[in-house]
Amino acid sequence: MSDLKGKVAIVGIGEVPTGRYPDTAAIYHAIEPAKQAIKDAGIDKDEIDFVMPTASLFSPPFNTELVTARIVEELGLKNCKKNCQIFAGGASSSCGLQMAGSLIATGAANYVLYVHAERLGTGVTAQGGIDLFSTAGISLEWEVFYGQHYSAVAALTTTRYQYETGTTDEQFASVCVSNRKWAELNPNAFFRKPLTIEEVMASKMLSTPLRAKMSNMLFDGGSAFIVTSAERAEDLPNKPVYVLGESGRVTHFVFSQEPDLTRFGWAEAAKEAFEEADLSPKDIDVAEIYDSYPIYQVIAFEELGFCERGEAGEIFLRGDTWPGGRIPCTTDGGMLSKGHIGAGGGVSLMVEAARQLMGKAGERQVKGARFAVETATGGTYMDSQVTILGTEIP
Amino acid sequence: MDMPKKPVPIVSPWAKPFWDAAREEKLILQKCKDCEKHVFYPRIACPHCFSEDVEWVEASGKGTVYSYTVVTNNAPSAFIQDMPFVIAIVKLQEGVQMLTNIVGCDPKQVQCDMPVEVTFERLDDEFTLPKFKPVHKE
Repeated sequence: MSDLKGKVAIVGIGEVPTGRYPDTAAIYHAIEPAKQAIKDAGIDKDEIDFVMPTASLFSPPFNTELVTARIVEELGLKNCKKNCQIFAGGASSSCGLQMAGSLIATGAANYVLYVHAERLGTGVTAQGGIDLFSTAGISLEWEVFYGQHYSAVAALTTTRYQYETGTTDEQFASVCVSNRKWAELNPNAFFRKPLTIEEVMASKMLSTPLRAKMSNMLFDGGSAFIVTSAERAEDLPNKPVYVLGESGRVTHFVFSQEPDLTRFGWAEAAKEAFEEADLSPKDIDVAEIYDSYPIYQVIAFEELGFCERGEAGEIFLRGDTWPGGRIPCTTDGGMLSKGHIGAGGGVSLMVEAARQLMGKAGERQVKGARFAVETATGGTYMDSQVTILGTEIP
Repeated sequence: MDMPKKPVPIVSPWAKPFWDAAREEKLILQKCKDCEKHVFYPRIACPHCFSEDVEWVEASGKGTVYSYTVVTNNAPSAFIQDMPFVIAIVKLQEGVQMLTNIVGCDPKQVQCDMPVEVTFERLDDEFTLPKFKPVHKE
């Protein structure tokens, strides 16, 4: 828990559509959403005094050229005091928001630009992507040489969870269907054609019981948000999206060391975040749950307290999480349908949470959304990060 | 397509005894002399109590499958030729968990909580990997 409740807010958002852009340089995916976010916030670009990008995975040189200052230069920011990278893999969104919020709350910064860019769709080949993710966050000392990679990581989690709860393959497939229903309504999503459980179940087996269509696909993309104080936010055009509560747990680095493959640290993190916000899962209008594979969306959904353990599969299957459902979940389509853009998977969800609360989600707008929860997790699900946002301060 | 060479463990100096023993087909673990807990993977100091008084002990080599998966498609390049193969997390009797492969059986026979025991597979002159196989009832 922190002391940020109601003190800081997201005031501007930007995003480029997820896709494959071989003719564009990666920096485009940072600059375009950053420009959009500054415009959306209704501030002068020279008011940005802290630029905080996250790292990209597709190309080490993109990071080591210290692209942080390049963003300042490309945007022509004249009063930027600091630029530094904040990276926690897929959990970068939550960590970045907390860092940005803390700088704002202490007066160390006035406007923080948080931005992410990735080129996993065209910066690496398909097999190159698999190979990259057989080492990114997977221990070179203890796991890489057993053939470990991300499909297998998700499959190991799914196998144990199914053994303990009886959740079926079809119920996991329904998570993909639920996210696709949202992606159909999202112009920034890559996969927008309807998807059925039968199609998911007919797709090729990767690592039992995980099938190809239960796996995210890698794309190019980028998104950005701007954080400032609640006081400044009140004078800006968007409805301020206040940080109401947040917490997290780091539970492992080497995947095999995770003490509970079916829970991770979600329940503890969620309890603290909800307590800080003075809210319960019942109050939440939109749940933006990190979904690189169905299993992680199911576990977080349950451990956050939206239902009892073992019930999420049925809830996703019967449509409670779909557009118009009782608990709208992962409303941009998530990594499963919008597309996986590295650390940006989480940043996209944070931007989507803010977008829903600002009332700017177009066709997929959840009517009257006041409170949202966003979750994120990095590497091999090494941490469980929970952020609660709202347009009111309970 | 040429198969890339299999990756080998990157060895930290304090983990070297583990790999030296594995080459001799022995599974050893660190054990803290102060809090008496077993430690895997090898650490500079005990992660439970920070004691640096950590000794190497031979492990029972017996455990159970915490979870497993049979890899049938989209493996990392160096492992494509091995498909189908089983990746598993094994819980050892000593209370530690490790990633491994389950070998010596039809991949379809692997189950959660199934008893297994260590076996060794030579990777090259320097490295022999501890793997696990089902415990066959006598």
